[in-house]
Amino acid sequence: MNIALKWMVLISCVVFIPPLLIGLIRKTKARLQGRIGASICQPIFDLAKLFAKDELLSEISNGMLRSASVVSASVAVLIALSSPWLPGMPVLFHSDIFIFVYLFALLRFFTVLSALDTASAFGAFAASREVTIAVLVEPAVMLCFIALAVVAGTTDLSAIFAFTADNLSIYPGLWAMAGCGLYLASLVELSRMPADDPTTHLELTMVHEAMIIENSGPNLALVEYASALKMLILMGLSGQCFLHATTAVLKLHHTIYSLGGLLALFVMVGFIAVIESTSVKLRWTKLPEFIAYAVTFGLLCAMYSLGTLR
Amino acid sequence: MKLTNLELVFVGVALTAIMMLGTTNIRTNLSLYRWHTMLIAVSSGWIGYLRAEPVFHWLGIALMIAGAKAWFAPWFLSQIMRKVEVQNDSAVFIPTALAMHIGIALLALSYPLAQTLPSVLNQPGGSIGATVALSLISTGMLLMVTRHIAVSQVMGFLVIENGIYLISLTQTRGMPLNIEMGVLLDLLVAVMVTGLLLFRIKKNFEHIDVAKLNELRD
Repeated sequence: MNIALKWMVLISCVVFIPPLLIGLIRKTKARLQGRIGASICQPIFDLAKLFAKDELLSEISNGMLRSASVVSASVAVLIALSSPWLPGMPVLFHSDIFIFVYLFALLRFFTVLSALDTASAFGAFAASREVTIAVLVEPAVMLCFIALAVVAGTTDLSAIFAFTADNLSIYPGLWAMAGCGLYLASLVELSRMPADDPTTHLELTMVHEAMIIENSGPNLALVEYASALKMLILMGLSGQCFLHATTAVLKLHHTIYSLGGLLALFVMVGFIAVIESTSVKLRWTKLPEFIAYAVTFGLLCAMYSLGTLR
Repeated sequence: MKLTNLELVFVGVALTAIMMLGTTNIRTNLSLYRWHTMLIAVSSGWIGYLRAEPVFHWLGIALMIAGAKAWFAPWFLSQIMRKVEVQNDSAVFIPTALAMHIGIALLALSYPLAQTLPSVLNQPGGSIGATVALSLISTGMLLMVTRHIAVSQVMGFLVIENGIYLISLTQTRGMPLNIEMGVLLDLLVAVMVTGLLLFRIKKNFEHIDVAKLNELRD
């Protein structure tokens, strides 16, 4: 496949797959609750409708709300184009693990700014919760990535997740533990079920939803698209970790892994829907214990990777 | 340190034991214990198979562990839990998140400790097996020490027992079948006796919180 065609495939994936993932979650949840549910493509139509709508801006806002949503959407697109969430695809630039994690932090920073901008009490407390969660989750993500980087001998994310490296495919245990850690951390990072209920609008439980409560019209569409894109990237990477764990027993041609990565992405997202249907939201004070599981997996990965240096 | 598949099963054993430290819900703890012991049963059957022991020996041991330790003991404990009406460990001495991280630190510590053990013979999975076994003993002790509810003490005891079993499995040439059966029987009796004891404690004191059991009463 030549490089131009690959770029076209990648860009169309980045544009169309994130809303489809949201649609998949909603559809799976509806089926598990015994409803038919809306079509998987419904979020695409929702986004198109929001882009056509007018925008309502609070009088107090000084414009940060508008610019922050544009910034967060463009940062999300930048991460999606530079990180190897789909194996075998070209990247804009070779992303370091630290750049990757701190671009996510930049995205979060602007979301928090926009939540504080409107001076609504909801936005402020949701922002404070979001930052508290971020402080707890970041070590887990970092430990998983650093463990993989130590074994790979490089901090280049594309090199770590390339299926061609033989020195990485002999550690299925490391990959599986890193996958579990990343998955649990991303559940919290994406404000999904055990940490936050994305479907209710009850002010006591919301984290992400309360932050974007003042956004409307195209503004809201951009923020929702950015959060769906975040899910695409994080779920793509954790799905690939599990895919790497299988390469120890099963070696396939590396073009098949592009399709496999896409499949793993959808399986991971479907699993979110299953978790959301079967579990309840944790109390806020219990959340650090849940995040501790992600950190535990990260610590185990780190230990394992130090063991490989001997 | 490239792990073989058998050693990966051992790592799973250590992982599930450490995760038991992370939750105070008794039902989750019991199901984690079930997985933990099933992995022990799988690894003991596997090791027996690798050593080319007679079929009835390794298959028998694996099945007996799965039946007695992985199925009966948690089932019995969950029945007791239903009778004494306790679902949650109300309080812990060390926060669960911290306990889990201490568990990992102890797992890391047991690796150099296991290297100092006199290696009797070159067993498959010997060094990692000893590491995991030592970490199971310390994890079980941590579980016993940090919890208030008496059932968690029983679970901690069972985890310690699993650790001791794993040492005997990986560091010796294997035990005769009748000794393994005797140990299993002892374990079952111990679980049943502690079950009855829990009943009596609940009846006399109206709780099973060991933190409040340091005063004599007639």
